[in-house]
Amino acid sequence: MDKGSTKPGYVVLQGNEACVKAAIYAGCRFFAGYPITPSTEIIEMMAEEMPICGGAFIQMEDEIASSCAIVGARWGGRKAMTATSGPGFTLMQEAIGFAAVTETPVVIVNVQRGGPATGQPTLSSQQDIYQARYGSHGDYEMIALAPSTVQEMYDFTVRAFELAEKYRTPVVLLADEVVGHMREKIIIKKGTVDVRPEKIAGIASPSADFFTGENVLVEGQLHDERGRRIGHLPDKSGEFLMKLNNKIRKNVDAIADLKTYFLEDSDTAIVAYGSVERPAMDAVRLARGIKDDMVNTTVKFVKNVFKKGVPAAIHTDYSHLKVGVIKINTPWPFPKNELTRLTRDVKLVIVPEMNIGKYYKEIERALPDKKVVSMPKCGGNLHTPKEILDTILKEMGVNE
Amino acid sequence: MRLDIRFSGAGGQGVILASVLLAKAYGLGEDYNISQTQSYGPEARGGACKAEVVISDENIDYPKVDTADVFIAFNQMGYEKYRKQIKKTAIVLVNSTLVETDDDSAYQIPATEMAEDMGKPFVVNMVMLGALTKILPKIYYPTVEAEIQENFSASIAGANLEAYSKGYEYMAERLE
Repeated sequence: MDKGSTKPGYVVLQGNEACVKAAIYAGCRFFAGYPITPSTEIIEMMAEEMPICGGAFIQMEDEIASSCAIVGARWGGRKAMTATSGPGFTLMQEAIGFAAVTETPVVIVNVQRGGPATGQPTLSSQQDIYQARYGSHGDYEMIALAPSTVQEMYDFTVRAFELAEKYRTPVVLLADEVVGHMREKIIIKKGTVDVRPEKIAGIASPSADFFTGENVLVEGQLHDERGRRIGHLPDKSGEFLMKLNNKIRKNVDAIADLKTYFLEDSDTAIVAYGSVERPAMDAVRLARGIKDDMVNTTVKFVKNVFKKGVPAAIHTDYSHLKVGVIKINTPWPFPKNELTRLTRDVKLVIVPEMNIGKYYKEIERALPDKKVVSMPKCGGNLHTPKEILDTILKEMGVNE
Repeated sequence: MRLDIRFSGAGGQGVILASVLLAKAYGLGEDYNISQTQSYGPEARGGACKAEVVISDENIDYPKVDTADVFIAFNQMGYEKYRKQIKKTAIVLVNSTLVETDDDSAYQIPATEMAEDMGKPFVVNMVMLGALTKILPKIYYPTVEAEIQENFSASIAGANLEAYSKGYEYMAERLE
């Protein structure tokens, strides 16, 4: 098992390992799971780490059981998490809906691979973007976070626990194979914080809180504040359901986390979430001509050390292109207000995704007065910077 | 500056592990950012396998390798598959026991042969890592050695370190 370097300052960790470290830091002390590529490292490392930090690890018979176990564990008083990929995420939908209606704070990690069905076990995708939002039946709102670096895999796992506790709801960490298996240098925090929100936001049925010693009734049917069934009462049921959804809907801006790069003077924006943001950043640097120096110095660097002759790097200067990046860290709930505000001066929006082009529809709907271009990529590989640059040039009408 | 390194070979040859140890060795301290990624098939052994390491003193955006500055091939299949995706100035290392090449500038290391001579065929990757450590910039023998020591249990660390050292020395002689 890869524990990373223990040298002070930095550690080199795989995304999946960083997720485990973060969960332990955030107070997770129960993990139930069933191994599946590309999320298996999380389960392996949890099996090792949970007993050490006083937690419990169970390898379940399948993903349905895993997701049910974490809901039970949370009501039993432990912060709980499970991790899976595509096919397992499908099986977990039942318990995700149950966690939503019982307002149980749990974290579900989906390290996406290619689908449908068994699909592509070892390759990446973002095909589950809508499943993360609408995978279970019925009306509920979901929070999903999409990391693009190993550091974010760590930071967003901690935030997933914070958001779950604050809004008393399941939260999905929507990673993908690229970030799950990638190793990078990150900074991790020492010890454990038991993340407890100062205030729980607008809970629908404030039944007895955890750890109070009161008897609680955990009910999958729509219920009142004491957990009693109200499914047969339309008025009360409607009221409950509105409350359940509004606790997320009314806090979209508070949950939203968007980052921008080079956007100040841009009339074109690339909107990306998850690991696709990284080639998008490279493409924008290429477009703005910032990359030029870096390419040359690499050549120089190799040349100096190896004393080989090198041809001069050929580079076209596109530095007049005003293009920036908007990175959506919280794809769900959809950050409409924030996105609208950020794209005020933008005319063209390009949305690269590792799927057939799903999330772009949401963006198109939110930004009716802008040209929104989808840039889908299927097959399991990340977009290359060149592919995104080519799309930028094509859509901006620049001849190479 | 940014250095793009690509390893290719077969699953089971230790391709990914070699890349991880190299990435960790570069990643220590403040000087370089690293990103290590891999792609492999569902097979445990035998399938095509690729690992990539990016080293940069700046922020690394695109974490994968497009055209490589350094290319290391562990077997013929991996060599043929990626030999074109390299820069003109690229440094190429091949496991010459298993790779035939017409590229005169490629460094040939008989890694499988050296490992088999040791009676430890599984240390091919450490021979290659040793040779690579010698030729790469800003990386030194003890840094990678420490990563190897940390990665393996005491019972097998010795054989791996020996192979690493042999690969390093082989390359040192070639470069003289």
